[in-house]
Amino acid sequence: MNRLNGKTAVITGGATGIGLAAAKRFIAEGAFVFIFGRRQEALDAAVADLGSNSRAVNGSVSDLADLDRLYTAVKAERGTLDIVFANAGTGSPLALGKITPEHIDETFDTNVKGTIFTVQKALPLMGKGGSIILTGSSAGTTGAPAFTAYSASKAAVRNLARTWAEDLKGTGIRVNVLSPGATATELAKEALGEEGQKAFASMTPLQRMADPAEIGAVAAFLASSDSSFMTASEVAVDGGLAQL
Amino acid sequence: MERLAGKIAVITGGSSGIGLATAKRFVEEGAHVVITGRREKELKEAAAAIKENVTAVVGDVARLDDLDRLYAVVKEKHGHIDVLFANAGAGTIAPLAAATEAHFDQTFDVNVKGLFFTVQKALPLFRDGGSIILTSSVSNVMGLPGFSVYAATKAAVRNFARAWTLELKDRKIRVNTMSPGPIETPALATTTGLTPEQAEQAAAQFASQVPMGRRGQPEEIAAAVTFLASNESSYITGVDLAVDGGLAQV
Repeated sequence: MNRLNGKTAVITGGATGIGLAAAKRFIAEGAFVFIFGRRQEALDAAVADLGSNSRAVNGSVSDLADLDRLYTAVKAERGTLDIVFANAGTGSPLALGKITPEHIDETFDTNVKGTIFTVQKALPLMGKGGSIILTGSSAGTTGAPAFTAYSASKAAVRNLARTWAEDLKGTGIRVNVLSPGATATELAKEALGEEGQKAFASMTPLQRMADPAEIGAVAAFLASSDSSFMTASEVAVDGGLAQL
Repeated sequence: MERLAGKIAVITGGSSGIGLATAKRFVEEGAHVVITGRREKELKEAAAAIKENVTAVVGDVARLDDLDRLYAVVKEKHGHIDVLFANAGAGTIAPLAAATEAHFDQTFDVNVKGLFFTVQKALPLFRDGGSIILTSSVSNVMGLPGFSVYAATKAAVRNFARAWTLELKDRKIRVNTMSPGPIETPALATTTGLTPEQAEQAAAQFASQVPMGRRGQPEEIAAAVTFLASNESSYITGVDLAVDGGLAQV
C-alpha cells in the first residue's frame, strides 16, 4: 500500500510517541518526512530508525524563527509540501487554585500559537490535494481534572480546523483534527505509572490504551486521498473514551 | 496491500450509491461481500458490476424474515461475518404540516427498526474483533427542512452506536457511525420525492453550503467506510465519522 507515494510531509513533535509512529507509517506508505522537535538526541535516534526518507530539523513550534528554518529546509530539498501533521503539544496538571500565568502561557504557546504558525508558515508550500492534520485530544471535549490549560488549548485546536476549512475554501487543502485518547507512548507510560495506565484502560470502552501505531494509521488515512471528502472534522481515536 | 484480505462483509442497501461503491472497494481490498437490496434487477446488476467475490440476496431490511434469509445465506456460504455495513436507508420529503403516519412509520421501519435488527440478527455469526459500521447522516446534527423524520432516524442511529459500543466491548466488536454529507448518488433524484428541478436545485444548494464547494462521490464514502472496516481504525469505536466536506463541522 503506497497511498502517500511521492508526498512530502512535516510532522512536528515527530521524534517520539505519536509523531514518530506517524512518521513510520507515512514513510511505509511512500512519503518523505521531515520531523521537527526540540531534542537533538531524540531526533538523531528517530532519523536512524526512520531511514533515508526522513530528515530532522531541530526547533520549537513556539519559536517562529525555528519554524522558518523548518520550512526553508523543506523548500530547499523538496520544493513543495503535501502534508502537515501539527502534532507538537505539551500538557501538565495544575489544579484550579494553583494555576500560574506561566503555566497558561507555556501550554498555549506550544499547543495553540505553535499550531497556528506551524500551519500558517506551511501554506506557501502547499497546494491542491494538501492535507493538514492537527492533534487534538479527548480532553478537548471532556473534563480532565487539573488539566485546565491543556484541555482548553485542545478545544481551541479543534476549533481552528473549523475556521481554517472556511479560510482554505477553494485551495484544495483539507484540514482535520485527530483526537487521541489514552495512548501508550513512552512519555505517557512514564507519567501515568502502572496504576494510572490501568485506570485509563478501565475507563476506556476498548479496555486498553492505544498503541501509538494505531494513531499513526489514522493520521495516514487523514493524510491520504482516502479521506478526500473530509475537512473540518474531528476524528476521535480514543477507544470510545469521549464518545459515549 | 489488501486491507480486508479474506474478510466476510455484509452490506445492506448494496445495489446502488454508497452501498455499491463500498462493496466494490471492499472486494478490491480482498473481502468477500454479501449485498442485499429490495430491487432484484438493480441488485443483480450491482453484483455483475462487482464481478467477483460477491453474493446477492434480495430482501428488505424492514422485514425480519428477509433478514433471516439473508443471514441463512451468509451462514451457509461463509459461516461467519467480520464486517457489517448497515447502510440501507430511506428518506422522502414531507414537511411537518403535511407528513402522514405512513411516511413516519415507513422511515422509522427502514432506518431504525430495519437497522436495529440487521445488527441484532448478525451477532450470532459475528467474529469477535469485527467491525460494524452504521450509515447515519450529517442530518443527525443538522436541521433539514422537510426531512425532519429522516433526520430523527439518523440521530437514533448515531445513538445506537454508543450503546452497542458498550454492549459489544467484551467481544471486541467495534461500532461506529459514518455520516455522509451530500453525495452524488441516484437517490436524491429517484427516491426522495423531489421533482427533477427540485433535486437539481437541492444539489446546487448543497454544493454551495459545503466548505469543500462540491458534493462528494460515492467512492469517497467507500474509502472512509473501508477505513472503519479495516485494522487502520483499530482504536476507533463509538464515533460518528463525518464524511461531509465540512458541511456539519464548521
